[in-house]
Amino acid sequence: MPVFVEDPSQFSKQRLKAELITHNVELPARESKKEVLLELYLKHVGVKPTADFSSDEEEDQVQNGNDEGDKPDPDMTDLSLLTDEQLKVKLLKYGVKAGPIVDSTRSLYEKKLQRLMEPAPEVKLNGTGDAGQYSDSEEEQDEEEEDEQEAPEQSDPETVTELDSAANQLKRSPGSGECSYADSSTCSTFSITQLVEQGSLLVAVVTASKCPLTVIGFTLEPANDLLKEMFPDAEVTPFGISATRRRPIRGAAGRPVQFKYPLPDFSPASVERKEISRRLVPLWIQTVIFLIVSSLLFLIYMTFEEFSY
Amino acid sequence: MSTTSRKHRDFVAEPMGDKPVTALSGIGEVLGEKLEEQGFDKAFVVLGQFLLLRKNDELFTEWLKDATGANARQAASCSQCLREWCDAFL
Repeated sequence: MPVFVEDPSQFSKQRLKAELITHNVELPARESKKEVLLELYLKHVGVKPTADFSSDEEEDQVQNGNDEGDKPDPDMTDLSLLTDEQLKVKLLKYGVKAGPIVDSTRSLYEKKLQRLMEPAPEVKLNGTGDAGQYSDSEEEQDEEEEDEQEAPEQSDPETVTELDSAANQLKRSPGSGECSYADSSTCSTFSITQLVEQGSLLVAVVTASKCPLTVIGFTLEPANDLLKEMFPDAEVTPFGISATRRRPIRGAAGRPVQFKYPLPDFSPASVERKEISRRLVPLWIQTVIFLIVSSLLFLIYMTFEEFSY
Repeated sequence: MSTTSRKHRDFVAEPMGDKPVTALSGIGEVLGEKLEEQGFDKAFVVLGQFLLLRKNDELFTEWLKDATGANARQAASCSQCLREWCDAFL
C-alpha cells in the first residue's frame, strides 16, 4: 500500500471514521475520542504511523503487513490483535460462519482465518482444499485399472474362439478389434495391418493374449452371451452382429397362412348347429328360472299389498 | 469411517450424564489426561467445546489435535461420536 503523504493524525474525526468504514474496520463505541479512532486507523489501514501514537511493536507489525504486497485488504496485520467481533466479520467474509469466539475457540478461528487468507482466491472458492478428494480423474483411473484387471481373466475364452475361427475371419477377429480400439500405449505396435501381414492366426492370438492392456474389446463379451441366449443357432461373430436369413412372411406371396392355434370355423352349417345347441340346452332352464323369478316377484308384491293395508 | 468401535456405540447409546472424557471414543488414557489438565474433565465439557464450534467436525478435530496431540483417526472418531450423540439426544 502506498504511503500517504497526508498525516493521519491530522484527519478530522469524520474522515477517520469514513476511512475505517471503507476498510471494513468495526467502529468503536459511538462517542470515542479521536485518539482511539486514529489508533484503530493506524492499526488496520496500515499507514505508517507518526511517532507518538503507537509503540514500536505495532509499527513493525504494520510494516510487515505492508511488506506482504499491495493488498487492498488490511487483513495481513496480526490476527491476534483483532477483536472477537472483527475476527468474526473477517471469517464471514471468507464464507465461514463462526460460532461464539471465546478463549477456547479463538485460536482455532485465528488459525482458520490465517489459512483462508493464505491461498489464492481460486483455491478458496473450492473450499478447504479437498478438491483432490473428489476429482474425476481419479475415478477414471480406478475404472481403467479395474478394466485392466478384468482383461486377462476374460482373454482365455476369447483366444479359444479365435483358434477355432477360420483364417479369413482374421480381419474381424476380436483380437484385432480390441487392439484397434484400445488406445493404450502397450498395444500400439499391434494393428490390423500387421495382423493381416502376419497371416498366421496363432501368432496373432499369442500376441493378443500377451498384450496386457486390452480394455474395450472384452466389454462385448456379456452382450455376446445375451445374443447367444436369444439366438442359440445363430453364428457367433466377434462383434455380436450376425446376419441371419430373413424369415418368410406368412400369408405373403401366396403362401398359406399358418396360425399357431386352430381358428374356430365360421361356416354357416356349424354356426346353425351351435345356435341350436345353445338354444336347446338352456331352454327349459330358462323357463324354470323365469317362472321362479316371476313367482317371487308376485309373492313380494302380494306381501307388500298385505302390509300396506 | 465404516465401522464404529464398541466404545462409540456405548457412548452414543445413552445420555452421557457424568461420564469422564475417556468414555468418548477415540479418547484413551493419555488423551484423557491431557484433556483433564486443560479443564476438560468430563465428556460434557468436551461436548460443550464441540457445540461452541457449531458441531463443525473440521474445527473440532483440529482443536482436539492441537489440544491433546491426538492423531487424525482419534480426533475423527471422537468428533463422529459426539455428532451422533447430538443427533440422538440434542
